[in-house]
Amino acid sequence: MSFLFGRRPRASTVDLPKQAKELMVKLDGPVGTTKAEELAKTLSQMKLVLQGTQEIESSPEQVYALVTGLIQEDLLYLLAVNLWRLPFESRKDAQVIFSYVLRFRPHTASPKSEPLALSYVINNRPEVLVELCNGYDHKESATPAGTVLREVLKSDTAAAILLYDDPSDAGPGPKGISGINPELKQSGNGVFWKFFKWIDQGSFEVSADAFTTFRELLTRHKQLVAQYLSTNFDLFFDKYNNILVKSESYVTKRQSIKLLGEILLDRANYTVMTAYVDRGEHLKICMNLLRDERKMVQYEGFHVFKVFVANPHKSIAVQKILLINRERLLTFLKHFLEDRTEDEQFIDEREFLIKQIKNMPPAPVEPTQKPALLGSQSR
Amino acid sequence: MASEGAMANQYSVLEELGSGSFGTVYKAIDRATGEVVAIKHIDLESSEDDILEIQQEISVLSTCASPFVTQYKASFLRGHKLWIVMEYLGGGSCLDLLKPGVFNEAHIAIICRELLLGLEYLHQEGKIHRDVKAANVLLSSTGKVKLADFGVAAQLTNIKSQRNTFVGTPFWMAPEVIQQEGYDYKADIWSLGITAMELANGEPPNAAIHPMKVLFHIPKQPAPRLEGSKFSKDFKDFIAQCLIKDSDRRASAKELLKHRFVRSAGKVEALQELIERKQEWEGGRTRPSHPRFYEETLDTLSPKTEPDGWVFDTVKAATIAPRKSTTKRRKLSVIHANGQDVHAGPEEAMKRLDLKDSPLEYSSSPPLTVKKSTMRKQPSIMELASPTKTRQPSVQKKPLQPDLTFGNTGSTVRLFRRVSDNSTLAQVDSDVSSTSITRDENRPPMSETVSKEAVLGRRVFNKVVDPAFQEIHAQTGNQAKREALSRLADAWSALDAIDPEGEYQLIKAMIEKVQGDSKLSALLSPAKASSRDGTPQASPQKSPTKLVLAQNNPHLKSHRRRQSSMLPEAEKERLSNLPGQAVTGMEHTKQLADVLYGRWADGLRNRWPAV
Repeated sequence: MSFLFGRRPRASTVDLPKQAKELMVKLDGPVGTTKAEELAKTLSQMKLVLQGTQEIESSPEQVYALVTGLIQEDLLYLLAVNLWRLPFESRKDAQVIFSYVLRFRPHTASPKSEPLALSYVINNRPEVLVELCNGYDHKESATPAGTVLREVLKSDTAAAILLYDDPSDAGPGPKGISGINPELKQSGNGVFWKFFKWIDQGSFEVSADAFTTFRELLTRHKQLVAQYLSTNFDLFFDKYNNILVKSESYVTKRQSIKLLGEILLDRANYTVMTAYVDRGEHLKICMNLLRDERKMVQYEGFHVFKVFVANPHKSIAVQKILLINRERLLTFLKHFLEDRTEDEQFIDEREFLIKQIKNMPPAPVEPTQKPALLGSQSR
Repeated sequence: MASEGAMANQYSVLEELGSGSFGTVYKAIDRATGEVVAIKHIDLESSEDDILEIQQEISVLSTCASPFVTQYKASFLRGHKLWIVMEYLGGGSCLDLLKPGVFNEAHIAIICRELLLGLEYLHQEGKIHRDVKAANVLLSSTGKVKLADFGVAAQLTNIKSQRNTFVGTPFWMAPEVIQQEGYDYKADIWSLGITAMELANGEPPNAAIHPMKVLFHIPKQPAPRLEGSKFSKDFKDFIAQCLIKDSDRRASAKELLKHRFVRSAGKVEALQELIERKQEWEGGRTRPSHPRFYEETLDTLSPKTEPDGWVFDTVKAATIAPRKSTTKRRKLSVIHANGQDVHAGPEEAMKRLDLKDSPLEYSSSPPLTVKKSTMRKQPSIMELASPTKTRQPSVQKKPLQPDLTFGNTGSTVRLFRRVSDNSTLAQVDSDVSSTSITRDENRPPMSETVSKEAVLGRRVFNKVVDPAFQEIHAQTGNQAKREALSRLADAWSALDAIDPEGEYQLIKAMIEKVQGDSKLSALLSPAKASSRDGTPQASPQKSPTKLVLAQNNPHLKSHRRRQSSMLPEAEKERLSNLPGQAVTGMEHTKQLADVLYGRWADGLRNRWPAV
């Protein structure tokens, strides 16, 4: 096919990754600023090769040469690590380079196969993905890194790499996809657990972007996540409830309650949900959300609360709390967010909950069914 | 995030510059540098699903660095308000500058060139602005031209990809955007052409047509052309190049920069004349109003700490949670209640609630003093007037949403966003306080406060007619039918503008007629014995016996709301007396509710298969 395109890859295209690598390692050196400028030019050239312009299509030959060059020189890793130090325009160029490179398939490859560079990263250089996450350590790199991550996370293997990264056991750095043992509980030192910190402590921009990626990680690949949450139930919800749901930030709080509701109501997470709504502690957190002074927090809290009440196999602990507060709840729910007159689903659900609470037996009853045992939870 | 709140203190906020569809913009000074900035405050509590979208806007803005685009500086949270700090542009928007009169061609040429440079930048960055119009073109005090308001801008990940989303402002929208066929950065070029015509004529083409209707007009009619002997051939040709309906044949920003019209344009400093002209024009008029200064609202400062109401193992005092607007609600209930004892109920209940919630032991049963449903909070008019939405984004359902509220100026169509019309609030409030408590419902409505009917009429429009039109319009596929419908919507909105009282009477009469017809009322009326007297203002033609009965027997007045059966009689009384209750159109029948319950319960049953 190459004769169709006519153009041989120019020598300079092949050299670009090497050039960039040499400049990158010198960023710390005495002439760092001039190197940064040169690097900016190199990256911008790479971007042009990859995406072409509005007038000129990019040449698959050259793109192929560039992608293989980037892999050889390990430039994706270097780019990820140094992303925050690049100048403004270069960070955007780097983002474009990542997106194109990680999406690129040679035209001979089947459109369903994993893109060349992505497959390389997943199997041989998973550190690239971890370092992209670490982009959230810096305000400068948060948006470009996050944009690349969310595209990459469409691949379930890439998501698994991030979820199961756990540097504490067996040497440093993430193991490739083959090294993952989903039965093993996480230590909490892996890169996934850093998201809690980024979301809670980052500036608005960092926090919001990190949350978007976090959410993508937890909602995109259902089976993967269901298994993961079952195995790491305690660690995950401890952090989730204490860091995110109780966050000082309005946005983090509201979005994480909403996400919690979505996670629990996802069919794939049935086991996780039954275990979650079994605990009185969780119900307390949730009932306090209903009394938050901010309406949207109340509203999002409601969508978690409803799961507890609708559960036909409420645990004794949950029944006790609901019964003690029965009259209060009935009064409260009747007037709860009553200006939502157009939200029919909400009104229906609220009425349903009132009915459920009203019809509860006066004393706690042993549930006929216990929550399904979580994956590796030793009870 | 503790440092986030502190960032706000870095700025001293000055007067209001204006308010957009989802926030207010203030002028402010960066205390550290003395730099003047503009800060947009967005109240996140008032928006349902927008947070992601606002993030999107910020991420588009924060990745722009061009002298032709308003510079983003920072954004941070303060309570539930998001502050977005932008560069301050003292010249105002081109729409403001149009007030003293249209621009001359020389000025327009400069603006067009600068806008093209801005669009060229955005487009090569893979961004589409999607809302280019005079209102979104800002001038610095030295005449620099900058594109602003990226509220609906899109970021494409691939330079060749397309968009389908229906956003923008009707008059300025390219045909391919309206037809939702997939469009790219060329859509901005069309809008630029319309903007140039707006600057030359003072308004965009078709400005006389209702914005809802213009949406059908633009794809159907030939592209607008600049006409009149006062305009040069170059200018006319420039417009013609921008306004080519086939987007593939439409020129790009880069190509248009080579057009003679902009190549010969002068320096931006010449635009200072427009700013001076505006200042003179304003000087010649009485100062429109006092500048509105930023006032810190209590809820943005620090969240009120309210004692917890639930009884867990830890012991705390309790209250009924949302109490913010109790006074207002009480006021309303006082006015609309018929009997004295009626409104004593909730007040007392409230007191009892405050007092009785004493600490309890975890295992002890709560005292029975809280009588369920002694207090029914009425939604205040204010809250009802602000739109609430269901969890599903309502976009597809109501693509035409903001148009009617905005008349001819046309505002940007945004996903998920809707502007609430606050103007009716003041009316309601003042009306409420001026109405006598011992109001007699038997008096014919016209002899009592006239504006009440008007307010109700407006309410009918905002809550019932407008949404209904939009809903049906969205469901109508046939072009001719859609047009007929939009003509009717037009006419109705005209009625609303001129005679809201008549509007109210009209809908009331319609409801009465429906109820008068047994077949129709069985099909359409909410609930079984749907209120023979559901409207709060008894109409004069009704027999007095009926009214007396209604007054004494709240059951007759009860209607809608499944839970009405659980309310004590006093509640029903007040419910039915709340203005607009009968006409909100929100009532759904018991049967419908049952179906919905069933569906929901089924969903749950699937989750818990053992049930």
